[in-house]
Amino acid sequence: MKQGTGIGALAERLRRRQIPSGWIVIPVLLILLVILPFVWKQPFYVNIFILIFLFGYLATAWGLVGQSGQLSFGHAAFFGLGAYTSTLLYTQVGVSPWLGMLVGAVVAVIAGAIIGYPTLRLRGVYFALATLAFCVILQIYVRNTQFLGPLTLGASSGLWITPYAGAKGPLFYQFASKTPFYFIALGMLVGVVSLSHLLNRVRLGYYWRAMRSDPDASESLGINVGRYRLMTFLLSCALTALGGSFYAQYFYFISPDRVLDISLSVEIVLVGVVGGWQTVFGPMIGAFIIIPISHIISAQLGSTLFGLHIVVYGIILMLFILYLPRGLNIPVMRGLRWLEAKLQRQPESSSDKPRRKPSGYTGS
Amino acid sequence: MVEQVGAALVIGILLGCLYAVVAIGLSLIFGIIRVINFAHGSIAILFMYLGFLLWRLWGIDPYLSIIIVVPVAFAFGYGVQYILVRPMFVREKTYVVEPLGVLLLLCGLDLVISNGILLAIGPYALAVTNPYISGVIQWGGFLTISVPRLILALVAVGLCFGLFWLLNRTELGNSIRAVGQNREAAAICGLNVHHIYALAFGLGCAVTAFGGCVMLPFYGIYPQMGIGLAIKAFIIVVLGGLGSVPGALLGGIIIGVVESVASQFMPGTMALIISLVLFLIIVLLRPRGLMGTIEV
Repeated sequence: MKQGTGIGALAERLRRRQIPSGWIVIPVLLILLVILPFVWKQPFYVNIFILIFLFGYLATAWGLVGQSGQLSFGHAAFFGLGAYTSTLLYTQVGVSPWLGMLVGAVVAVIAGAIIGYPTLRLRGVYFALATLAFCVILQIYVRNTQFLGPLTLGASSGLWITPYAGAKGPLFYQFASKTPFYFIALGMLVGVVSLSHLLNRVRLGYYWRAMRSDPDASESLGINVGRYRLMTFLLSCALTALGGSFYAQYFYFISPDRVLDISLSVEIVLVGVVGGWQTVFGPMIGAFIIIPISHIISAQLGSTLFGLHIVVYGIILMLFILYLPRGLNIPVMRGLRWLEAKLQRQPESSSDKPRRKPSGYTGS
Repeated sequence: MVEQVGAALVIGILLGCLYAVVAIGLSLIFGIIRVINFAHGSIAILFMYLGFLLWRLWGIDPYLSIIIVVPVAFAFGYGVQYILVRPMFVREKTYVVEPLGVLLLLCGLDLVISNGILLAIGPYALAVTNPYISGVIQWGGFLTISVPRLILALVAVGLCFGLFWLLNRTELGNSIRAVGQNREAAAICGLNVHHIYALAFGLGCAVTAFGGCVMLPFYGIYPQMGIGLAIKAFIIVVLGGLGSVPGALLGGIIIGVVESVASQFMPGTMALIISLVLFLIIVLLRPRGLMGTIEV
């Protein structure tokens, strides 16, 4: 078959379904998201989008652990470690948060190794319990600790991100408007989702699929389940810590009740589960659905009915686990594919050709 | 110095019995159903609130309210297992749902209960005032034991032995243990597996509610304390051995003593960190726990 270049040929290849479906939807969505902050300028909405990206990022990073067949309830701890490390280094030592966030990632990896090494060798719930306990205990520790060596930890009143003498500007992760933060968050989200997608295409991804469907069988085939789970977990810890540093620089304020609280872990879990944990695009889809809803609920009712939105979270979590355990990923993907088929108006004659395998993950 | 440590030891044992009362139910549920009841802390405080409300509204003494609260807790636990968790087990036949799915489900239940209490009653700490039994026992000039705490410790030991007897010496206990050992084989022998699972869950909740009512005369309650109790209980059951009821008592006493003795020498938060380290060491060296029988 002859294949030319140029727009006409591209359209022809699209019509013949020679281009995987993601290649149309994803660039279109990306272009829309890139021009969005210049069109829709109200800070309130830009803020919501930044939070969507941040939680999509966090939930995707958390989902890596899920893809390897384990469940972490303690990601708030690694988030908080990232936030606290970069903040302490910035406000009290003068290190740029761009460097500090890498240090934070290292700290989170060390903590993750201490928690993960003993527990990830075992099947069952030990890992989930250990991460949960670590998160709660770290929060209690920070709440009650004013000084950590020469550094001021601030106990339960938290820390303001006040610039170290003269250390200001973009080189120090500081921006006057929300737009740069918007693009950083978007970049982080795109980066982590691409990473997750990529890892699914290499050996580690195949190990993940084997490990989460039957860890014993994969062990018998020579996969060192504990080691690969630990690797995945440490990667996830590092990524989550970077998210924490971003949070600190964006909100200018951190406290144990904001960045180390178990409710943050739960929110990450909820976003992941609603979108489809153990899938690549699921957690991102979950963030686009849950974060706006939670903003609406807490803006409308948060002041009068304290705790209501968490009750709603709990109910959503239970309903999804019971009735849609693989999340919204599958219906959304199916919808996109249907839309694409409509747009392409595939001719009748092509039905006898072998169908291309859809490129989007269906979340096996 | 020696006297101080001795006093801390005794107080630690009493504290440990308090933790154990929550952990026993958790361990029982895990031993039979192989599910960690993530909502255990919330369920414990739910029934402490029920006991408190009975006292506040009708003046029923917490010790007396046991005869109302415990059956309610049993029915609640039975319902949770039969209505919420059972569908997960039924689905397990078609494709593998790791216990992680159940964990997430119970996490949702935990959020609903603890924040439901917050919503309904408010964030204030509440306590039963002027209880029927109070007072302290003085001994040797350095040791002061509060009587309600002593009663709780006796109740914890009693519950532990009671459960041991129930599980090992009765027909019902035999069927519960049979289901816990091998679900399919038990089903072939004609046992109604889901009914027995629900019984076990109800029993675990009832035991916890029993302990909760006995805690009420000296223990203030607030909606968010469930997670703290649950963390302690998780650490204790891993330490004592997942699924072992006597192990939960032993683990509770160890954690209580460690906390109480450590707080003589260092800030209270360090004791928590020590218990986490203890948890990790046990998982590293002896994953089945001190008295556990379940192979990992």
